[in-house]
Amino acid sequence: MLQPEALQLRTEGRDEQQERRLSESEDGNNPFSFTPQIIRLHKDHELFEDGDIHRHMYLQDLYISEAEDKPALSVSEFACHISGCSAVFSALEEYEHHYNALHRHVCCSCRRSLPSARLLDIHIQEWHDSLFTILAQKQDMYQCLVEGCGQTFRTNKHRKDHLIRIHKYPPDFRFDKTKKERGRRETKRREQKDAAMEVVDDVCESEGVCEVMCNSPSDEPEGGESMETHECEEKASTEDVLAAAQDTESTAPRKPQYSYRIPNTVCFGHGSVRGFRGRRGRRK
Amino acid sequence: MWRLNKARHKARHKAGQQGGNLDELRLKRRENERALRQARRDRQLVSKRLLLNEDEEQPDVSMDTAPGGHDIVSLLHKLQHTGTEKEAHLKALSKVLRDPAAQLTFIKHENSMHLLVGLLTGSNAQCRLQAVRCLHELSHSSHTNVAPACLPATPYLLTYLSGPSTKFTELCLYTLGNMCPDSNVVREKLLAQGIIPALASCIENQRHTLAVVEAAAFTLSQLLQARDAPEKIIPIVLKSTLPSRLLSVLTPDPQFGLAPAIECAWCLHYLICSTDDNKELLAQGALSQCSSLLVSLGGAVTEGNKEDGIELLIWPLLRCVGNILSSCPEEDLNAQLTDAHLPASLCALVQAYLHTLPALARETVWVLNNLTAHSTEFCSALLTLNLVPGLIQLLPFSQGINTMILRILANIAHKKKEFCVQLMQLGLLSALCATLKMADQEMVIQSLDILFMMTVSSPVVAEEFVRQDGLSLLEVLQYNGAAEMRQRSTYLLEKHLLSYQQHITVDNMPDP
Repeated sequence: MLQPEALQLRTEGRDEQQERRLSESEDGNNPFSFTPQIIRLHKDHELFEDGDIHRHMYLQDLYISEAEDKPALSVSEFACHISGCSAVFSALEEYEHHYNALHRHVCCSCRRSLPSARLLDIHIQEWHDSLFTILAQKQDMYQCLVEGCGQTFRTNKHRKDHLIRIHKYPPDFRFDKTKKERGRRETKRREQKDAAMEVVDDVCESEGVCEVMCNSPSDEPEGGESMETHECEEKASTEDVLAAAQDTESTAPRKPQYSYRIPNTVCFGHGSVRGFRGRRGRRK
Repeated sequence: MWRLNKARHKARHKAGQQGGNLDELRLKRRENERALRQARRDRQLVSKRLLLNEDEEQPDVSMDTAPGGHDIVSLLHKLQHTGTEKEAHLKALSKVLRDPAAQLTFIKHENSMHLLVGLLTGSNAQCRLQAVRCLHELSHSSHTNVAPACLPATPYLLTYLSGPSTKFTELCLYTLGNMCPDSNVVREKLLAQGIIPALASCIENQRHTLAVVEAAAFTLSQLLQARDAPEKIIPIVLKSTLPSRLLSVLTPDPQFGLAPAIECAWCLHYLICSTDDNKELLAQGALSQCSSLLVSLGGAVTEGNKEDGIELLIWPLLRCVGNILSSCPEEDLNAQLTDAHLPASLCALVQAYLHTLPALARETVWVLNNLTAHSTEFCSALLTLNLVPGLIQLLPFSQGINTMILRILANIAHKKKEFCVQLMQLGLLSALCATLKMADQEMVIQSLDILFMMTVSSPVVAEEFVRQDGLSLLEVLQYNGAAEMRQRSTYLLEKHLLSYQQHITVDNMPDP
């Protein structure tokens, strides 16, 4: 930023208030460095290459007025900036799709991605909240997953039954990917591997409904309990989103170019501005 | 424009006559282009011009005569010993000298140049014409040792520049121009022999003969491109009357066409970009003239009057304006730039050439940056003339275009807080929400810089950004691999946007 003296010199036409605000922000930690500047380009600058070639083609009688090969006008790509995710997209919609599917409702504790804010809330409550466990012994704490239903249940199993009987979740739904990955997930977490795959695994793991219903904390590998996963709208949409995300992710995912991992204590997601969902009390 | 017409005819002619298809031609052009690019990277970009005979349409080297050797010797012999028909022999010689091998043979032959110079300066006007034609063919050689061999002729060529015959003068000029790039020795000699004043008076005296003006400016441009030009040549040129002469011929003649203006504009570009201090040229009105011309050209382009080759003139003018702005003090800007239409014309040029010549569009936005960097007036103009939405729409385009556009928008935001609010109203915040997601790191960092300026300017802007869910974008960037992104996004969140959170609950209370 401009030094205060320099600011004084350039007050012509500049709003005093804007200056004051800018100079207020000038403490030592201010990382912003933009100043308007005139850019001089010397004769041999690379920015001038195409124009020079055009000129010399004309001098050498090679000029034609209609462009034969239209030079390609390139468009910026989009990239997921979440550390560890190297996905790149050619369109903004693809990026949004990817982000919403894989990064939006992420649990801080176990890094699972849930399809919606509500399911994330329920997941955190049921999996990572010790108070919940205590209260659940005495009251009906397990909420029905279907929005608007409002019923609560004493156990996970009761809820599952309710979902099947009342909300017609198919009882024989299997989410095979999840079942397979489950054992390997913990070991793979710290490994340096394809970031895209890692993210996808997380989602496979965590299609909210089955996890929430099975009520297993993240650190226990799911044993025999069948992923009697029940289909629901959320799940279906997760699947769709997954499929879409897999399609749109670059076919040749790059290795993460930086190793700056997000600490487990930090969580992104709806409403988690500077807060940490699922954790009460102070962060270290 | 005789050059362009010729080129087009050549293409069609070749395609028709030799049965060669346009694909071959296209291939050849592409090869040539590649060679030119490589030459530029090696700082060896040189072009020569060949003035064709009246009866020629294309400079084909497909001669009926057998390759040079014997013909040269016999012709020289004839020239030496016959009294009459010298002109015919010279004519034949000039045709033979089109062949590169013959050129080399000629210069190796003893006394050949001496003979030619004798005929060049003799009493027979026709012989002089043919002799200069021979020299012209020689000058066009791609072998760098041919030009030095022609040095004995140069004092006379320079003298003839003030002569009355247009064709003859043109030939002299293009010959000299072709010789310039070939060697240091040649340039030094030419400078010592007074080529600069000769060119200056040539342009002055022959300013109504536009073909000569074109040739003289071309020759000057060859001198100005030399590697040692900034030290050895440009100071002399700047002290001469050439700059003002060039400026006076800058406006194209509607009948003759763009060619002389094109050459002059390129000369001015080489002059301007070689020196840091262009006060002299500014004082002579370079900025105002170049910018006015750009405005009228921009107008023509917008109306669809895209004359063939108009970009050949637009290109150097853009560079002149872009670079000379750095020599123009802020307070003088309005005095120098009398045409208020410049910002609008520049924006029009960007739109016009975005898809056909993106490099030209890129240079145009560069000029816009230089125009707006230190001028509140021009920033204001972009807003009041409603040019900003058009610029925002260019943000998807990469390879230097969108980064430069962000610079321009940042220039505007930097000036006044009202500008920030206006930019917000024109949709810049939602555009930034998209650019913050781009893969190009520079785009993200610049977006953060603009965002900082805008949110600092007014609570309205900060609130709007939060409303557009911008905070989640910043959160993501907090943990990005690049320190510049982390520092900026963290700073923005912590220092400025914290207070604008809309849902703060007990659970989510930030730690003190």
